[in-house]
Amino acid sequence: MQPYELTLAQAAEALRSRRLSPVELLDSVLDRMEQVEPHLQAYVTVTADRARRAARAAEKEIAAGRHRGPLHGIPMGLKDLIDVVGMPTSAGSRVRAGHRARSDSTVAARLSAAGAVLVGKTHTHEFAYGLITPQTRNAWRGDRVAGGSSGGSAVAVAAGTATFALGTDTGGSIRVPAALNGVVGLKPTYGLVPLHGVTPLSWSLDHVGPLTRTVEDAALVLTALAGHDPRDPTSVAGPSEDYRPGADADLTGLRVGVPRSYYFDHVDPEVEAAVRGALDRLQDLGAQLVEIEIPLSRYLQATHWGLMVPEATACHEGTLRTVPDHYQADVRVLLEAGALMSAADYLRAQRARALMRQEWARVLAEVDLLAAPTVPVTAVKAGQETVTWADGTVEGVADAYVRLCSPANITGFPSLSVPVGHDTAGLPIGMQLLARPLGERVLLRAGHAYEQTQPAPAGALAPVT
Amino acid sequence: MSSPGLTPWETARWAARAGVPLPPGRHDAVAAVVLHIHRVVAILRELDFGDTPPASVYHAEEETHRAAV
Repeated sequence: MQPYELTLAQAAEALRSRRLSPVELLDSVLDRMEQVEPHLQAYVTVTADRARRAARAAEKEIAAGRHRGPLHGIPMGLKDLIDVVGMPTSAGSRVRAGHRARSDSTVAARLSAAGAVLVGKTHTHEFAYGLITPQTRNAWRGDRVAGGSSGGSAVAVAAGTATFALGTDTGGSIRVPAALNGVVGLKPTYGLVPLHGVTPLSWSLDHVGPLTRTVEDAALVLTALAGHDPRDPTSVAGPSEDYRPGADADLTGLRVGVPRSYYFDHVDPEVEAAVRGALDRLQDLGAQLVEIEIPLSRYLQATHWGLMVPEATACHEGTLRTVPDHYQADVRVLLEAGALMSAADYLRAQRARALMRQEWARVLAEVDLLAAPTVPVTAVKAGQETVTWADGTVEGVADAYVRLCSPANITGFPSLSVPVGHDTAGLPIGMQLLARPLGERVLLRAGHAYEQTQPAPAGALAPVT
Repeated sequence: MSSPGLTPWETARWAARAGVPLPPGRHDAVAAVVLHIHRVVAILRELDFGDTPPASVYHAEEETHRAAV
């Protein structure tokens, strides 16, 4: 096994015990990048020299007995919406030409303090306003979309060109590309991970979180990221904690809600079969499956759009006036149309969100978590615009990818996407677990336990074809 | 729920009023997207909100900007 193939937890243990040095690990990741990055295009910028300096510094510190923790010396990628001091944050847009971040985002600063080694900034759909990331290819099949908007981060992790990465999620943008590339994606509770220095798309729906190869790896990254930041008005108070799940895979007593409606409507049969198979594994581990109804599901898309569309336009109002032709066509028209949303529409969406939060809290008082598909279809072909369902209904690809993810953005509840198999074309399938606010521990425990049921160890790399 | 659309001319006028003037060649495309968004969000009018206030919360203490735009 080459060092780039190690999961974060495996690499951390090898570095801690000095069986591997941070420089050796980085060299292996950079060699891997030379092989596959020309094909995948996951990165906007590769910071090899900076990374080598950081890896040498980590090597010296660890050799001197100053091991900072599991992220020390680990190569990572950051979605190019996340500020790193002195580097441009392109946000995938010409609008940002000449940008240079004046300070680190909170997440970049925390990862740097934990000793992680930045290998580069990863591609995003322009300003995170889309589900494709057209710059990047899917790690499993080059003719398929990477998903988005954190497509570069998901593909880098799936291909072994980053041991972990960060993404952002406003309607599924961590979980969608995680599912489409066979990696783990965690959208934490709204406010748990500070957004200071992360380019916004929609303030009330935005989240930042990890993309990793295993659930345990996501827990290790979350531990470094979570915690209050007074510079972020949405940041929740409270002490940081260790999220690493225990080794015990016994889920006896855990009540897992299985939606009777919404989450299995208009879902590809192979996706549904894989998720129901994973539910059986959770049951084998002692979990109790409980059928639940999804409240107010008719109003989910309207609420999500009613919040996101005007907030995104508000974020971009100035540059929409000054450099409108610098935006890509798909993003520009959405931003322009958002200017015509009324305050009444926005307030109606905020009131609907309040009702939903109340109703979802009632559902999640009856069960410990909810399990469902992350996305209703696997990665579609690049350029495909619609999905046609068995009943003849035609749905836009972006609408389909957002549909099952947006409830966790509207409510702010945490959600974890875990790989649960492949379709007959060999494309990955993801299962989504949702919990009560600040219920990350139960998500990570259940996801980690599920991974232990699989015959092959979790965290295998994509074949990159 | 019926959703009356805006003509391209009305779209341009309302966009200018909102502070986002549209070049003439964009009126039709934006009008079509506005209509689509409106049809999606209009169903929220079906809900009985009672006295439910908006989910957004105002904090009286001073806030700081987090954005990097």
